Amino acid sequence: MIVWRKTGRFGHAEVFAAIALLSLLVARFVPVLAIPFTCPLRGLAGIPCATCGMTHAFVHLAHGEVARAFGASPLGALLAAGAWLYAIADLVRVAAGGPLPDPGPRAARAAAALGVTAVLANWAWLVVREGLS
Amino acid sequence: MLARCARCQGTFTTDRYGRQTCPHCGSELLLPDPAAPAGAPEAAPPQQPPQPPQPPPPAHGGGPGLPPPSVPPPGYGPPGGWGPPPPPGGGWGGYPPPPGGPPGPAGPEAPSPFAERRERGFFSAFFETWKLVATQPQQFFARVRIDQTGTAILFGVIASTIGNVASSIYGYFSGQQAIVAMQQVLQRIPEDQARFVRMYMQAMSGSSIVAQAVLSPLLTLIFIYLGAGILHLLLKLFRGAGRRFDATLTVVAYVHGLLLLLAVPGCGGLIAFVWGLVAVIIGLGAAQRCSTGKAAAAVLAPAALLCVCCCGALGLTVPALLKGAQDAARQQPTNL
Repeated sequence: MIVWRKTGRFGHAEVFAAIALLSLLVARFVPVLAIPFTCPLRGLAGIPCATCGMTHAFVHLAHGEVARAFGASPLGALLAAGAWLYAIADLVRVAAGGPLPDPGPRAARAAAALGVTAVLANWAWLVVREGLS
Repeated sequence: MLARCARCQGTFTTDRYGRQTCPHCGSELLLPDPAAPAGAPEAAPPQQPPQPPQPPPPAHGGGPGLPPPSVPPPGYGPPGGWGPPPPPGGGWGGYPPPPGGPPGPAGPEAPSPFAERRERGFFSAFFETWKLVATQPQQFFARVRIDQTGTAILFGVIASTIGNVASSIYGYFSGQQAIVAMQQVLQRIPEDQARFVRMYMQAMSGSSIVAQAVLSPLLTLIFIYLGAGILHLLLKLFRGAGRRFDATLTVVAYVHGLLLLLAVPGCGGLIAFVWGLVAVIIGLGAAQRCSTGKAAAAVLAPAALLCVCCCGALGLTVPALLKGAQDAARQQPTNL
């Protein structure tokens, strides 16, 4: 069950929103893809790690290239979209002085399990795609 | 006198011992009379399951066994919740570690020494806190206040930045030597490999070092929040999050302070990593009031998952690679 509670003007939720907004600005305006970096797992074993392609997904989505973002990493694209939508929603909530949703323990556990499953599914997809190509 | 509700952690003033009702959450609690015979039950809400016997609340920096004074408990009276200089041989206030199994509240919460840096002096408070985090994480995180996350984050950011800057400076000087040595090697190795080597050498350049040092506080802040968020979700998954997100954030932030060890040349990074891993597991168990096993599961699950998946993938690919290499060796004529 979700409980709505009043919070201060700037709390942990707003820090997470600020980090999400910062990721949008960096992905949009900083040439992060020009940084020469290779995933150590991919370099050593030829296998992509669970987070491979996420930087590309963030950058492509920040430039409005949705298909390329999902092609780079489906979970990365969903994560970017979710983070930026959350940041906007939190800004609106703070401006309106609204309460913060506080999910109960069961909902939080379900969200955590969903997150772990999504990471594993995304990783499996990356490995299979790498093997096919 | 001041009393604290074991359920909501709220404090209130009362003038009597015995059964009370918390004005904040309405739950019933029992304030034991210090003059009563030993063995009287500790203050605990009736809704909670029976707790293991708790150690006596520490006196103000004193050792165990001292009678509880009629002054406010540590952390609520005058500064010095952890006790000004610890007694000889008693460590941090001589406080005994909580009993095995799921630790309950280990006495009244107190602000960390770093939270009292105005009264204690910045450096004294900083190093006292660092020592507690590094050497007595169980006792420290069982008692530290979790509503002072700003102090914990400031501590983590300062220590981590110092460690990162020192590490970058060492890296710069050792990297300069490596660049000189590698220039000749680069001309003889294939272009692909040379490109990777140049990439890592570029990371040791002066501008990159300056960028790392300047961005270190911001990156530490982001890592603390993201790390705490992921760990708290995993703790929820393992039913180990007995308290709010603030508890996880406090532990992660204070343990980031161990990155000060990056200032140790050579093996500082490895020591900081292993020590930090141990401290965060112990700290999460103590601060979240869950077993160390659950805390370890939450901390190590991502790494274990990575290892299992990598080993599985390598197990599938290595035999195929070996078979391919054997086939290639058979087809190629031997040239002796």
